[in-house]
Amino acid sequence: MITLRSSDGETFDLDEVVAVELQTIKNMMEDGCAESVIPVPNVEGKILAKVIEYCKKHVKSTVKAEEHALSDADLKAWDSDFIKLDQATLFDLIMAANYLDIKSLLDLLCQTVANMIKGKSPEEIRQIFNIKNDFTPEEEQEIRRENQWAFQ
Amino acid sequence: MAYSFPEEVLEHVFSFIHTDKDRNAISVVCKSWYEVERWSRRRVFVGNCYAVSPGIVIRRFPELRSVALKGKPHFADFNLVPEGWGGNVFPWIATMTRAYPMLEELRLKRMVVTDESLELISRSFKNFKVLVLFSCEGFSTDGLAAIAANCRNLRELDLRESEVDDLSGHWLTHFPDSCTSLVSLNISCLGSEVSFSALERLVGRCPNLRTLRLNRAVPLERLPNLLHRAPQLVELGTGAYTAEPRPEVFSSLEGAFANCKELKSLSGFWDVVPDYLPSIYSICSGITSLNLSYATIQSPDLVKLVTQCPNLQRLWVLDYIEDSGLEALAAHCKDLQELRVFPSEPYGAEPNVALTEQGLVSVSEGCPKLHSVLYFCRQMTNAALVSIAKNRPNMTRFRLCILEPETPDYQTMEPLDVGFGAIVEHCKELRRLSLSGLLTDRMFDYIGTHAKKLEMLSVAFAGDSDLGLHHVLSGCESLRKLEIRDCPWGDKALLANAAKLETMRSLWMSSCSVSYGACKLLGQKMPRLNVEVIDERGPPDSRPESCLVEKLYIYRSVAGPRLDMPSFVRTMDEDSELRLS
Repeated sequence: MITLRSSDGETFDLDEVVAVELQTIKNMMEDGCAESVIPVPNVEGKILAKVIEYCKKHVKSTVKAEEHALSDADLKAWDSDFIKLDQATLFDLIMAANYLDIKSLLDLLCQTVANMIKGKSPEEIRQIFNIKNDFTPEEEQEIRRENQWAFQ
Repeated sequence: MAYSFPEEVLEHVFSFIHTDKDRNAISVVCKSWYEVERWSRRRVFVGNCYAVSPGIVIRRFPELRSVALKGKPHFADFNLVPEGWGGNVFPWIATMTRAYPMLEELRLKRMVVTDESLELISRSFKNFKVLVLFSCEGFSTDGLAAIAANCRNLRELDLRESEVDDLSGHWLTHFPDSCTSLVSLNISCLGSEVSFSALERLVGRCPNLRTLRLNRAVPLERLPNLLHRAPQLVELGTGAYTAEPRPEVFSSLEGAFANCKELKSLSGFWDVVPDYLPSIYSICSGITSLNLSYATIQSPDLVKLVTQCPNLQRLWVLDYIEDSGLEALAAHCKDLQELRVFPSEPYGAEPNVALTEQGLVSVSEGCPKLHSVLYFCRQMTNAALVSIAKNRPNMTRFRLCILEPETPDYQTMEPLDVGFGAIVEHCKELRRLSLSGLLTDRMFDYIGTHAKKLEMLSVAFAGDSDLGLHHVLSGCESLRKLEIRDCPWGDKALLANAAKLETMRSLWMSSCSVSYGACKLLGQKMPRLNVEVIDERGPPDSRPESCLVEKLYIYRSVAGPRLDMPSFVRTMDEDSELRLS
C-alpha cells in the first residue's frame, strides 16, 4: 500500500500495482526513497483524486482480472466520459499527469486539448486558452504571409 | 486566467496536430507557441518551390522529416513550359543534406531531378524511407541504382509518370539482399526490361509490400510468380497483358490472382488481349480502383470486366468504353466516385468511337457518389450539362475536354455558357473546373457569381473580352490557381485585379493579350509578386511596350525573384529595368 499526500493535505491510499502507473512514483519506489507517505506538492487533492481514479480503471492486474477487466471499447467509452471536464480541471490534470509521468493519461488529455484546437483560427485558439497575442501586427502579418504563401 | 503549459506539454499537444492549416494556425497564436510549433513540425508541403527558398524553410523548421515540393506549373503537362524553365531540386537537396540529416521522406511533383541529386539523397539521409517522383524528369536509371543501393530503410519508391533516361534495367539489382523494407514500388513509367530474377527476389523478401506497379516490359508469363511471392498485395500494376492464348498460362494467372485476396487496385494492362481478362474475375468483387487507360480493348470486353466490379470507386478508361459501356457502369457500379475517360485518338479528325455527352449523363444519373470527373469527348450540349449539374450537386472536380476548341452546343449551336453555368450554380462544393467548348464572357460572369469554393480553374480558347477575366478574378473568393491559354484577356483585367493575385498561389497565361508594358507595371505595383515573362523570341525590351508577351507566370513569393532563370524568362520587378540595361 502506498499513500500519496496532495498539496492541500489530502491523503490517498493506493495498491502498489496502481501506484506504478505513475512513473514518477514508480521511480521513487525503485530508488528506495519512497517513504510511507509520498508528498505530491504540485497537485491538489481534487485533481489527484481524478488521477488516481483514472489509474485504478486502467491498471492491468492479473490478480484482479475479473473485477477490473474491461474491453477496449468499454475503456474507450469510460475515457471519453472521464475527459468531460471544465477547462480548468482539464488543464490542472494535464500538469499533474505530466509531473507524475502517466503516459496514457497524458496522451488522452493532450489529444483532448488538440481536438479543441483543430480547425480553429488563431483568434479562436487564443480565446479558448486565454492567451495574449504578444506579436506586433507586423510580426503577425509576416508569419501569416509566410504560412499561407509558402506552407499551404 | 491565462494558462501557460510547459513546453514539453505544448509539444505533446502539438504532436496530435497534423494538417498544414492547423499547424499554421497554432504558429500564430503567440510567440512561445510559434517557437514550440516550429521546432516540432515534422512535415511541410511547399505548393510552389519558388514561393519560398530552401534557406527560409530550414531556418523556420529545423527538424523536418518530410518535405513535399511542387515545381513547374500544371500546363507543363501540355508542353507549354519550355525546356530549361526551372524547378530544379538540387539546391533544395544540397541545403537539406546539411540541415536535415534525419530526413525520411521527399515527395516531388513536376521537378527536375538529376542523377547528382539522387546520389546525394542516397548518401546523405541515413534514415531515408520515401521517394516519390511524380511527373519529374532529368534523371536516369543510374540515379535509381544509387537509391536502391544506399537507402537501407527504403519503404517507398514511386516514379509515377516521370520521364526517365532508361539506360538499362540493371539498376534494380542494386537493392541489397538485406533490403526487406519495401512497402511500395512503382516503376510503371520505365521502358526497359528490369532484371526479372532480381525483381522476383526483391518482391519475395519484402513481406510488407502492398503496392507494386510494374512496367510494360514485364511479360504476362512472369506475373504469376510475382503474385505468388506477394499474395498480400493491395495495389497491382501489371505489365503488358498479352500472350499467345495458352490454357496453362491462363490458369496459372487465374490461380495466382485468386490467391491475392487483399487486392483493391489494378492498373497496367498494356496491349491487353480480351481472352486473358477473365483471369482476374475472381478478385473483381474486391476491386475499388481500376486504371484501364492503357487497355485498348473494345466496349463489350470493357463492359464484361466493369460489371464484375460492383464495389468500384474509381475508373480510368479509354473512350472505347463508349456510351453503352458507361450506361452499364452506371447500372452496376453504384459506389463510383471518380471517372476519367481518355481519348483513344485525340488527333483524329472524325470520331472513332460512339462516345458522346450521353455517356456522362448516364453515369451522373446512375452513380450518386460521383464527384470527380475528367471527360474527353467531341460533342456536348447545354441540356446535357444542365442534367449533369442537377443530378450531381455533390460534384467537386469537373474537367470537361471537348477536343476541338470553341465547339458549340451541337444541337442549338449556342455557346456552352448555360450548361457550364448550371454546373457552377448547382455544384456548390466545386473546387476544380476545366472548361472547353464555345464560351463567352457570360460564362465567366456565372463563375464569378457562383463558384465561391472554386480553387483551380483551367480555361482555353474562351471568352470575348477582359470582362471575362475580371469576373473570375473579382468573384472567385477561394481561387488559388488559374491557368489560361489562348483567350483574348489582357492588361485591363489583370491590372484592375492586381491585389487578388497576392491571394492566389499562381496565375498562368499563354497566348493571351497581355502586353509587356502591363507586365512591367504589374511587377512594379506588386513587389511581392514574381511576374515572370516567358518569351523565346529574345529579350522583351527589344520590342515595343505594347507588344504582347508569349507566356506569363505570376506567383506570390516570400523569397523574392528567383535567381535561376534561364535567358527566356524575365522577372518584372522594380529593379528589372536596371538589371536588363
